[in-house]
Amino acid sequence: MTEAEKTYNKNILIAVDESENARRAVSYVGQLLGGLPGFKVTVLHVVPEPEEDYFPTAAQKEEWLSKYTKKIDALLEDCRQLLIEIGFDPKAVSVRSTLRYCPSMAECILSERDETQYSTIVVGRQGLSRSEEFLFGSVSSKIVNHARNCTVWVVE
Amino acid sequence: MNNTHSQETLKRMVSRWLPPHQVPERFRIHTDTTDFFQVEYDDVVILKDRPYLIRHNAKELRFGLEDDVKFWVKRAVDLEDGSLKIMKLVFYEKFMSHIGDIEFECFRSPKKEARILDLVSGHKNFMQGYSIPDEKGNLIRVLDFIKGKTLAAHVGKMEMDHEAYYHERFPQILDQFLTCVQAIRFLHDNGERHGDIRRDHILIDQETGDYRWIDFDFNYRHRENIYGYDLFGLGNILVFLAGMGDILLQDLKRDGNPLLGTLSEADLNIVFHNRVVNLKKIYPYIPESLNRVLLHFSKGANRFYDHTSQLLDDLRHVDITH
Repeated sequence: MTEAEKTYNKNILIAVDESENARRAVSYVGQLLGGLPGFKVTVLHVVPEPEEDYFPTAAQKEEWLSKYTKKIDALLEDCRQLLIEIGFDPKAVSVRSTLRYCPSMAECILSERDETQYSTIVVGRQGLSRSEEFLFGSVSSKIVNHARNCTVWVVE
Repeated sequence: MNNTHSQETLKRMVSRWLPPHQVPERFRIHTDTTDFFQVEYDDVVILKDRPYLIRHNAKELRFGLEDDVKFWVKRAVDLEDGSLKIMKLVFYEKFMSHIGDIEFECFRSPKKEARILDLVSGHKNFMQGYSIPDEKGNLIRVLDFIKGKTLAAHVGKMEMDHEAYYHERFPQILDQFLTCVQAIRFLHDNGERHGDIRRDHILIDQETGDYRWIDFDFNYRHRENIYGYDLFGLGNILVFLAGMGDILLQDLKRDGNPLLGTLSEADLNIVFHNRVVNLKKIYPYIPESLNRVLLHFSKGANRFYDHTSQLLDDLRHVDITH
């Protein structure tokens, strides 16, 4: 099979955080593909293992993580409901959160994709200024630059 | 109070290192430093059975403008061997920092500084020291005192024109700065970041002439590029060194410098929009190879450095004579 004949599956991985841009990405996928047969969507949030240095004690770190996990569970359920409301079959929508050491969020998202064989990754564009991107980097830019064997949609 | 360190014992120890008129009659002894405001001049802090006589609080001297007392940072004398130390007590601080129009969350981390001190033990381009917990578990950092001035003060006080500086002093300064960049690469290769890279956080060791990084307790919530802020700091110092100071738009305007008209937005610092980065337009004898590195930190840059190794590779190819 040539490269041009390569087949792509209909599995879509939407990586979200708490931003409006992420919600827009979910909404975009819902509006574009909701109701169409064969598409499966997973809404993913990678929980970065909290930096040890940020918390004076281990107990404070655990408390933060516990609260954050609850918030993310609610966020993912909200995304799932949004996709169903727009037209996705509930069976075609799943959510996933995973806690991992994450010096680079982009690399963690790509690693999740590698493990799950999704043909398409969808992320929201953060809308960073050039200075912010210079100082702190951009998750979506890095995903676009480093993704292999998949297609990336960056939703504006 | 610790039985092995009676008032008499302490007095005897202090007498070995201080002249008689400076030896206090009695000492307040601390084994818990949680309330660092209570730790004052002439007090003794005992850490793991080792006594330290507290001297003055340290001050933050940034760009010669601020003079803030850092109550959690003390000068101290190690009473076992008489060496002068900097003692950093535990101060957890979180705040929003602003750089240009960007806001981000910063915090101090004693754990981070302690970890890096272990990592860089014996490295000539870093301050040296160790960490010891007090009886309440506060992680105190005990640092060797470095005699010398900051890189900012060293370059800022040179009284010569730029061309003479560039040809006579800058080559040696750049060589030394390269060792500092290599030192930061060492941190990054070990998964650590300095966190507060600026020109007054390099001390020039008066004894050895080595450039040495200080103050690693600063940290920030990183986003995608864990080392981006460190790289930005390195770039700012490099531009400062190449320019023998910051080249500010307002100074060029004030001096009626005709070169002001040749500058465009793309020639300015990507974050500090009043600083000129394209120094070749101001000093034409600056070679392309160096100017290209500087331009990575400009508004006109179309590619940023992601890692210190990229900056180092480019700097190694700089020929400052051409």
